[in-house]
Amino acid sequence: MKLRRVFAIAALVLLPFVLAAAAVVGVLFARQGGFAPYRVPHGGGRAVAGDAATIARGEYLARLGDCVACHTTRGGAPLAGGRAFATGIGTVYSSNLTPDRDHGIGDWSADEFAHAMRHGVARRGPLYPVFPYAHFAGVSDADLDAIYAWLRAQPASDFVPPPNRLEAPADSRRALIGWRMLYYRPDQTAPLDPSDRGRYLVEGLGHCAMCHSARGERGSLPPEGHFAGGVIPGVGWYAPPLDSVQLQRYSEQQLADYLRDGTSPHGSAYGPMAEVAYASLRWLTSEDALAIARHLKQIAPSPLRPQPTAVAAQTDASGKGADVYARACADCHGKNGEGENGAYPPLRDAVAVTAPDPINAVRMVLYGGMEVTTTGNPRPHSMPPFVQQLDSAEVAAVVNHIRRTWGGQDSRLTDDDVDAMHGIVID
Amino acid sequence: MQKLLAFALLLYATAPLADEGVGERLAACVACHGKSGEGVRGAEYYPHLAGKPAGYLFEQLKGFRDGRRVNPQMAWLVQFADDTWLREIADYYAALPPRAHAADTGADALTPERRERAERLVREGDPVRNVPACSACHGANLAGLEPGIPATVGLPADYIVAQFGHWRDGVRHAIEPDCMREVARAIAPEDIRAIATWLSQQSNPEGTRPAPAGSFTPPTSCGALHTETTR
Ligand code: HEC
Ligand code: HEC
Ligand code: HEC
Ligand code: HEC
Ligand code: HEC
Repeated sequence: MKLRRVFAIAALVLLPFVLAAAAVVGVLFARQGGFAPYRVPHGGGRAVAGDAATIARGEYLARLGDCVACHTTRGGAPLAGGRAFATGIGTVYSSNLTPDRDHGIGDWSADEFAHAMRHGVARRGPLYPVFPYAHFAGVSDADLDAIYAWLRAQPASDFVPPPNRLEAPADSRRALIGWRMLYYRPDQTAPLDPSDRGRYLVEGLGHCAMCHSARGERGSLPPEGHFAGGVIPGVGWYAPPLDSVQLQRYSEQQLADYLRDGTSPHGSAYGPMAEVAYASLRWLTSEDALAIARHLKQIAPSPLRPQPTAVAAQTDASGKGADVYARACADCHGKNGEGENGAYPPLRDAVAVTAPDPINAVRMVLYGGMEVTTTGNPRPHSMPPFVQQLDSAEVAAVVNHIRRTWGGQDSRLTDDDVDAMHGIVID
Repeated sequence: MQKLLAFALLLYATAPLADEGVGERLAACVACHGKSGEGVRGAEYYPHLAGKPAGYLFEQLKGFRDGRRVNPQMAWLVQFADDTWLREIADYYAALPPRAHAADTGADALTPERRERAERLVREGDPVRNVPACSACHGANLAGLEPGIPATVGLPADYIVAQFGHWRDGVRHAIEPDCMREVARAIAPEDIRAIATWLSQQSNPEGTRPAPAGSFTPPTSCGALHTETTR
């Protein structure tokens, strides 16, 4: 008897909370797009033009969207999927996009394809956000159709990518609905205006913000971190902010050339940016490259971006870093970090020295690099790896030296920090 | 055969005389492969590159890029290089004088029996296991055969053992038919170390280059020899 009354009172007291919780869930569910994303259109007879011109346009757009790079493993059949993406919650493998009916997307209609690109939901359920659907959502119907037409014209492969290896509860696609309720806001990716070409390509197919933004909780991309720069989850490289301040040192034309050539008087692409240049941006027409450059150079700095440091150039007391620099680096990067135009990038104001995170500089010194081959830079220069030549204390010293002297960063790496950054990250 | 010979001559005639800045651009490679691709003393895992057939080197560079050979340090450097540039790199190293000195002269000495067995396997093969002689493909002087078979003398022993392992595990792939895979799989595991040590102790004092294409015919068909004609 008594117990029942206790329950009744408790229920009365709790009711408002339960209702409030239900309301919050309802609002969050509505804000991630309501039920619409989960109504995946099957079939549908809408015909899509498959003429040579459309297919060629689709190929160009697919390159800007980097579909092949993400949907191919090293040495695997193109577009057959299986490339591994390390995330905070485990490994996700890209899918087979070839026209194979059983293992690819050969029996998808144009509508089903456009739906997956727009909403990030396929017939097997919601897709993990390593697939940059939040960016592809704004792409025009005509462009999605052209990409679809091009995909249809590619050779089929019956390759089956390995199943994802994720921790519970993230291993369930249904759990992604919860993630979307918390972090996915389609109203912010409303259709982009194709006539504003630079912005259309940067925010849409280019998905530049996927790497160049500050991440929030659980790999989300909050609006205030848009283009604020940050460490890329999974691979650990730091991507700088993309805005008027970061790109001040480039003229519009220099920036356009950097995108197509992978190199410029202000720096060369390396790490993940090298892949973007090689697989995607080197195919840009000069008009599109210039449109992108113009747009990038007028992006207003985001509130979360690291403030440029006004610290006066500092030198390291021991002089060890300067010694290593003079011995091992100055031949190429110059006594004053000025580089050599057409051959070696400057270190003064370079991404790796101004970045708040030292990872790029440490990795470059440990493993070196070869610039990307492009039409504008067909015989690229390279930087030797120093992992065998310098010990961790020397690497720390030289990185501290260049970051203090030319980057305004109060860099205090130790040999232990450098040890912790060992390891080549590819794929 | 004649076509191959003609091609080899053509290649020879058009080989760049000066280095045209290629060497300067390959500063990254010096750290592990030596200033002139001759290898680095003391860093005995890294193979030398100088004087190996251009077709062979080109195939290997593409292999690291495209996943037919696996090595993170190599893949890191060549992953965004196109065929034209890799071809130029291969031509550059192929034109340099072959390495003359042996690899690990200080490596653990072979007992006389093991040394004798190793040398017999290299020169005559292993009829029991149906392994052809190494020299039947790599040449009587083991200096290689254009365009696709490299010299085996002077390679680091650990490197040779590792390559046999890669072929056996299916990590290293040459153009099919991959004759070298069949050799690596057929040979007795306990013989590999002996052969590798023996090969590493051989030098090439005259700097003999790979034999011209078609100058002898391997006992089984090797895809590596058809790169130039099918390209
Ligand atoms: C940054 C890497 C990346 C890029 C760039 C990328 N994708 Fe994907 N894509 C993925 C991953 C990973 C998945 C699998 C997601 C999952 O399992 O939930 C995927 C899934 C898909 C799917 C769903 C397939 C299915 O069977 O469910 C489609 C369709 C798709 N991508 C199309 C494209 C197209 C078209 C492009 C180029 C415009 C593209 N992707 C670019 C990583 C990428
Ligand atoms: C896969 C991750 C990734 C994507 C996608 C990406 N970037 Fe980058 N980007 C980087 C990283 C990492 C760096 C820093 C390394 C470097 O400078 O090469 C970088 C550097 C740059 C720089 C040099 C900035 C400077 O101050 O010198 C520019 C410009 C740039 N990216 C533009 C773009 C544009 C435009 C896009 C979209 C079309 C894009 N990136 C897409 C990772 C990425
Ligand atoms: C043989 C010439 C050479 C030497 C020596 C050399 N570098 Fe480099 N460095 C380069 C080249 C070429 C690049 C561009 C590599 C790329 O894009 O993959 C580069 C890139 C860099 C970067 C990335 C810059 C950016 O834009 O963010 C850093 C940092 C760097 N080098 C530091 C060093 C340090 C420190 C040393 C000495 C320990 C050194 N380098 C020695 C040629 C050299
Ligand atoms: C950090 C050390 C390192 C650097 C730097 C390096 N390599 Fe290598 N290279 C290796 C190793 C290790 C192997 C053997 C890999 C294996 O086990 O298969 C190799 C193998 C090769 C081979 C195959 C040789 C053969 O006989 O089969 C070629 C060709 C080659 N490298 C070219 C280059 C070029 C060109 C560069 C410069 C762009 C370069 N390497 C830079 C370590 C390096
Ligand atoms: C049937 C012909 C054939 C025979 C017999 C043969 N090889 Fe080879 N070998 C090749 C070819 C072809 C390649 C080049 C494969 C490639 O393109 O990767 C090669 C490559 C090699 C390499 C790799 C060299 C490097 O620089 O990475 C080694 C080591 C080698 N062979 C050792 C041997 C030894 C030891 C034997 C005898 C036990 C032998 N081979 C017998 C055809 C042969």
